[in-house]
Amino acid sequence: MPIITVNNKSVHIQELNKGAAETIVLVHGMFSNLSVYYFNIAPLLATKCHVVLYDLKSHGMSEKALEGYDLTSMTNDLFALMEVLNLQKVHLGGYSFGGLIALKMAIRFPERINKLAIIEAPDPNDDKTRGIIDEYSREFLEHYVENFTDTTKVKMGKRQMERNHRMYEYLFYQTSIKTDMELEKDFFGSPAIETIKQSTLLLYGTDSNCLNAGKHLDGMIKNASLIAVPGDHNIPIQQPLVIAEALLNFFQEI
Amino acid sequence: MDTITTKLSSEEIFNLMKQFITEVIGEEFVEEMDITPESSFTKDLEMDSIEIVSFSEKIKAHFGEQIDFTGWLSSMDLDQLINLNLGMIISYIEECQS
Repeated sequence: MPIITVNNKSVHIQELNKGAAETIVLVHGMFSNLSVYYFNIAPLLATKCHVVLYDLKSHGMSEKALEGYDLTSMTNDLFALMEVLNLQKVHLGGYSFGGLIALKMAIRFPERINKLAIIEAPDPNDDKTRGIIDEYSREFLEHYVENFTDTTKVKMGKRQMERNHRMYEYLFYQTSIKTDMELEKDFFGSPAIETIKQSTLLLYGTDSNCLNAGKHLDGMIKNASLIAVPGDHNIPIQQPLVIAEALLNFFQEI
Repeated sequence: MDTITTKLSSEEIFNLMKQFITEVIGEEFVEEMDITPESSFTKDLEMDSIEIVSFSEKIKAHFGEQIDFTGWLSSMDLDQLINLNLGMIISYIEECQS
């Protein structure tokens, strides 16, 4: 299991097709981990490119951290990871919260980002997005699993439920994630988004609550194109091959 | 990297898989389980996706270039991944060895 040290913290990474000319870095979402890409999406992209996946702090198999969940800290982490791996310029993709990190990267470090792919990044000011953070409880997780896991088809067993519960409890009640996210609520209204010059692909689910966020970004980013894929917020899990092919075509286009 | 070239029997592969599963999810959980070739990863072993990533990494580290485990997994859709059981992996590794 490849673990590297970035900013004095252990970070779990996976690299595929190391040595290829171009590199794609993919960022997962909140309460998720790099496995969202590992099984289907990354292997297809790795047929042409070097692919780097990593677990965000306190997620997957990366080390826990009590603070630093705002987009500036999260992009500091990614920048430092690129330095450690000696990646000068990469294509960058992000899903959900990872999409917000990718957008912030393009704003802060444009010279290090080639093309940008944003999958289902939510508007941080959306009530539903922030509601999840405000209302978390054990009952919420059980209700969520009971009612929504059919969209990903994976039923959680008792041990998995406990593991997830521990992760949510840690993130919600011990870390600064709630206050850090609250500070980002105006991100989509920020003029900085309009400064993004990279060619940008926006992938959103046709039935997703976040589709309007995609349309908003499409209007703000000059060089963007929006593709709506059948599915909801879980499109990378529901349609991994469609997402992988769209990403590969986009990153390979000259 | 710890790679091997000797051909393993299906029982040896099964025992190796059990060892990897124990390393990933912990002995205390494995003791309560009856692991058989029919055991599915998500339903019976209750492994979540990041644990299956760890398990895959152990297979890759052990067998090296001999098998393309991630490539094999990537050809599966979600239903197949959910229903993946130990017997299917044993057969796949046996095929790669032949």
